[in-house]
Amino acid sequence: MNIPDGTKVTDPVLLNDPELEQIAMATLLIGRLLMESGARAQVVHEDCSVVAHGFGADHVDLRSGYASVDITVSRGASTITRTMEVGPHGVDHRLSHAIRDLVRRIQLGNLTPPEALAQATRLKRDTPHFVPWLVALAAGIACAAFGRLLGLDWPGFLPVAAAGAIGQAVRQVMLGRGVNVFVIAACIAFLSSSLGGLGAGWAGSATVNLAMIASVLMLVPGVPALNAQSDIMEGHPTLGTARGVCVIMLLMFIAIGVLLAQVLLGVQP
Amino acid sequence: MTVDMLHLLHQALFGAVAASGFGVLFNFSWRDLPWCAASGALALTTRTIAQDAGWNLEAATFAAAAAVGCGGRLLHARLGITSNALAVAGCIPMVPGMFAAQTVFGLLALTAPQPGNPSELAVTTMEFALRVIFTTGAIGAGLSIVAHILRGSDSWRRVR
Repeated sequence: MNIPDGTKVTDPVLLNDPELEQIAMATLLIGRLLMESGARAQVVHEDCSVVAHGFGADHVDLRSGYASVDITVSRGASTITRTMEVGPHGVDHRLSHAIRDLVRRIQLGNLTPPEALAQATRLKRDTPHFVPWLVALAAGIACAAFGRLLGLDWPGFLPVAAAGAIGQAVRQVMLGRGVNVFVIAACIAFLSSSLGGLGAGWAGSATVNLAMIASVLMLVPGVPALNAQSDIMEGHPTLGTARGVCVIMLLMFIAIGVLLAQVLLGVQP
Repeated sequence: MTVDMLHLLHQALFGAVAASGFGVLFNFSWRDLPWCAASGALALTTRTIAQDAGWNLEAATFAAAAAVGCGGRLLHARLGITSNALAVAGCIPMVPGMFAAQTVFGLLALTAPQPGNPSELAVTTMEFALRVIFTTGAIGAGLSIVAHILRGSDSWRRVR
């Protein structure tokens, strides 16, 4: 429970039902981690409901915003409302899968709220990730493959893969330093697009313009775009709209980066 | 209907490569990456066949997303709760990123001091914008409709 030692507790809810605070905080942490790992709002709401009921709550209300989640939990005559900030929205399938596995164990009654809090925190810290060079390489190859689907010719394939990989590597460094995601999008779009265009031109590609766009396709927020649509369809228009606006903003910044590169290289859009 | 097998194989192969590349980016486990590739291959195969049959891009994309959604659901017992995420990974290569970029380029060109042939530019930009909206909508609708119709297997999560 988040009460410092020696502090006099006067909140009647905490006096009557001290476990309610732990239920709320454990549920919120799980909801937050799901949102940060790219889950749809519906999944967050359903899993938070499962968690809180699994811990013995009678009634749960959750509100999911883009930057925070709020919960009201009731048990017997006691009701509390708590809120928690949500960090940057990413996509981390392994973390999402592990959290949902934790939710299933909570539903089976195998964990107490403090144990669930500890395990969720440990999952956030210890969930394995691919080594950065492999992620960069995979992103580069994905961009080149994506380019082939759009009509990129063979001479442009390797330059696009290299440009995408370099862009992803620099993106990871910038993300690690806490740079704003929109600024990252514009900078990486400019860098990858310039490298892709220069490389494709040097390799004799007839699709330099396409190579410049294909080099930045790892930046396109595909999962948030689909989540935005699902959220609106499933009755969470506030979060869905927020996601949609962020997708449009990201696309604008990516396009500005590519446009600057095209101006620099003298390529007609 | 005539299907160019070489073109179909090409689309399936690069759909698989793109989906598994994004699978790494999205931190799928090694165990799930081949399924990402299969999902991408199924999506691009379905879309290519539908386009070869004369369907437009949006309808073909809808069919592809629905096929991938069904495939994920059929493999649900084997894959556990990852089936929906795999379907999304398979659909990522169909996200119209290039059309989105072309839309923004078109809008910027329209606001230039002296745009060349603004009427034609406006129509082209509008076409790109509509393609982005309808294609993204087709992917989302294809995945969501299947997920909602075949939702029974997720009953462990419904407690209320």
